[in-house]
Amino acid sequence: MKFSVEKLVQGSCRLGVLRDVGKLKNQTVETPFCLLYTRGGSVPNLSNDTLGYVQDLPPVALMPLNVLAEHHETVQEYGKGIAEFTVMKDFLVCCTMQDPCTAAPSGYNDKTSVALWGRSGKMKVDPELFVKVQEAFQPDWFQCLGDADTCKTSSKKRTKKAVDNTLNFLDEILSKRKSSQTLQKMALFGSIGGGFSQFERERSAKETVARNVEGFALEGFQNDGEEFCQFGDKDFVDILSLTLKHLPEDKPRMMCAVLRPDVVLQAVRAGIDIFDTSYAYAATEKGHALVFDYNYHTPSEEVKDSDETKMSTPATESGFTINLGDKKYRDDFGPLLAGCKCFTCKTNTRAYINHLNNVTELQQGILLMIHNLHHYLGFFSALRQSLREDKFDQLEALIAQQKPHSPDR
Amino acid sequence: MAAKHSALSLKILAECPVTKARACEMKLPHALVKTPVFMPVGTQGSLKGLVPDQLRDLDCRIILGNTYHLGHRPGPELLEKAGGLHSFMKWDRALLTDSGGFQMVSLLKLAEITEEGVKFQSPHDGSEMLLTPEHSIEIQNAIGADIIMQLDDVVSSTVSGPRVEEAMHRTIRWLDRCITAHKRPHDQNIFPIVQGGLDENLRRQCAKELIKRDVPGFAIGGLSGGESKEHFWRMVTVSTDELPNSKPRYLMGVGFAVDLVVCVALGCDMFDCVFPTRTARFGCALVRTGQLNLKTKLFAKDFRPIDGDCKCSTCAKYTRAYLHTVATNETVACTLLTVHNVAYQMSLMLAMHTSIIEQRFPECVQKFFEDMFPEKNYPDWAVKALASVNIVLK
Ligand SMILES: [Zn+2]
Ligand SMILES: [Zn+2]
Repeated sequence: MKFSVEKLVQGSCRLGVLRDVGKLKNQTVETPFCLLYTRGGSVPNLSNDTLGYVQDLPPVALMPLNVLAEHHETVQEYGKGIAEFTVMKDFLVCCTMQDPCTAAPSGYNDKTSVALWGRSGKMKVDPELFVKVQEAFQPDWFQCLGDADTCKTSSKKRTKKAVDNTLNFLDEILSKRKSSQTLQKMALFGSIGGGFSQFERERSAKETVARNVEGFALEGFQNDGEEFCQFGDKDFVDILSLTLKHLPEDKPRMMCAVLRPDVVLQAVRAGIDIFDTSYAYAATEKGHALVFDYNYHTPSEEVKDSDETKMSTPATESGFTINLGDKKYRDDFGPLLAGCKCFTCKTNTRAYINHLNNVTELQQGILLMIHNLHHYLGFFSALRQSLREDKFDQLEALIAQQKPHSPDR
Repeated sequence: MAAKHSALSLKILAECPVTKARACEMKLPHALVKTPVFMPVGTQGSLKGLVPDQLRDLDCRIILGNTYHLGHRPGPELLEKAGGLHSFMKWDRALLTDSGGFQMVSLLKLAEITEEGVKFQSPHDGSEMLLTPEHSIEIQNAIGADIIMQLDDVVSSTVSGPRVEEAMHRTIRWLDRCITAHKRPHDQNIFPIVQGGLDENLRRQCAKELIKRDVPGFAIGGLSGGESKEHFWRMVTVSTDELPNSKPRYLMGVGFAVDLVVCVALGCDMFDCVFPTRTARFGCALVRTGQLNLKTKLFAKDFRPIDGDCKCSTCAKYTRAYLHTVATNETVACTLLTVHNVAYQMSLMLAMHTSIIEQRFPECVQKFFEDMFPEKNYPDWAVKALASVNIVLK
């Protein structure tokens, strides 16, 4: 994998390009971009057929190991890797450790192994098993075995332990990689942790940079799978920015978490390149549709004018999403979002999805997932465009205007 | 002769010279349906785990909705506002709705049947409600399905005695009230329902009364509710004997493959059942030899598709081993197995349709039973039922 920053916007926002990623020999991936979040090897709620209804999908699928690792022997016997096993062979695969949407129980990692929580309970993964899993799965890139069991309230001791463990695991994996042809073909991302300790973050960053990795995975800020809203937290922004300062410019930085659009923009400002679509899924699970405006080209006054005239349902609530379970959508025969070109909005109404929500029909999850994915990917496309056009602050202002009053939107 | 008020025409393409089976084309306002046909059940205005495009890809032409559920949520007012269920759920092909009576009697313990209608306690606020024949038709008119059902007096198929006869007569009286109340005969087809419990004479008597009415088709009801299979097939065959050839016959609530094959031989054209879609949710796939429970360890390292001959998109791409890892864990498994199970039902019905046209239906039946029962341990009732229409299983 090769990475280069093509343009630095406003000092720290990186418009970059990934090259030579796995099978994608002749194709490039522009950053910032998001990985396609999957669970159990499929985009939640979507089969290969229904995923096909979403246009312009990212070329790389994110496959957290937590629920997949227990099937490594099956995939080994299958012999064609996890992408083909899960019918995702049109995508490259990036395997990470923990699912960004699921809380991992705290307190089960130690010097020798990291706990993954799958369907059949806890699985202790040590470097040897980790290598076995990766050799079976044959992802195009993977995050190194690491201990990310830290959050803002973690003790100094726990935070230090996590960094120590992660560095030890990295050394072991690097040494095992020397004798594995399969692993040598994959891009390896080192994990940078350290909770909220400036000292540990710096140590983790410097030590990881000194080792032979193709990129970095930023983690250890939270371990509960909740929506990530800590960017309001000054400590957090400071610590992330400070950590990223120690990383070389020519290697990509990934942060997989449930990130609201305002948080994505702050992370881009801090210097993150790679995200994932788990926010679209988290919203879907709540019966929410993403409706935030990312069209920064429209001057904001014009937006106001047209809002007042054209909107059938006035946007009385603030926030990035609407809750389709709300009674007020009962007889709203408009699309989820006026003007949206997605498969769902082309034919379906808010009223129908409200009905599916009331009677808990599975089709709600399918239709919302398609719209939410489409919208979140559209947002990332606008984000890259804004960097190219030097209009990142316009996008920022537009998103900031829509920031929710209550934290759950 | 076509019915006066009818939005249905039935063209018999071929009749089996041996059995009572026939292959037809049934023209409905929203679809041209090949029979014999299986109709998947989308109870609440959605087929669990599928979007309508997937049903179209499976060449499914008609699905079923339940009036009891839809009448409650989203309710007839909203459906009318939406322009009917077709428009509300974006399904442009044919729909059939039941009357709501069966669900009321089977779901609500306190339901009581009087001459006026079905009296029941609202499961929501406990108030007393009454579903009359007129009200059932009113809701079904709002839903707007291509085929609607009369409200019938449903008695459990295990009940016998005077109650069964009373229900049969009441069903006929209610049919007349339904026909009078029906406001859209030009684009919705009302089907009466043959009742009469497990009594051959009552069944015949009921059918004879019903066929005097000017209706576009008939349903056979009150079966597949726990009666013996022996009773079941006899009631089906006496009903089809009485019903006119020129109109479709819908056997309600039947969908197991063996039952479908036998009842097609006995002259039924249309079927519905929640089984294929429900069993998919529990991780079961239907195959020629029965069903595969993909949850079991047996399939953990089985890298074949569910059925190598199946043309569905699940079988084209997914292995049993992968389905094993997601079955009942991820909602996508429900989608994948439902696609396959609906495809299985569709291909079984199409195989029968084609074999009737090609005048080899008895061979098709024979082959089906050999695949399903390789040990030839055919169920006794099926052997008898098929023998009654001149098929002797080898
Ligand atoms: Zn949309
Ligand atoms: Zn199939």
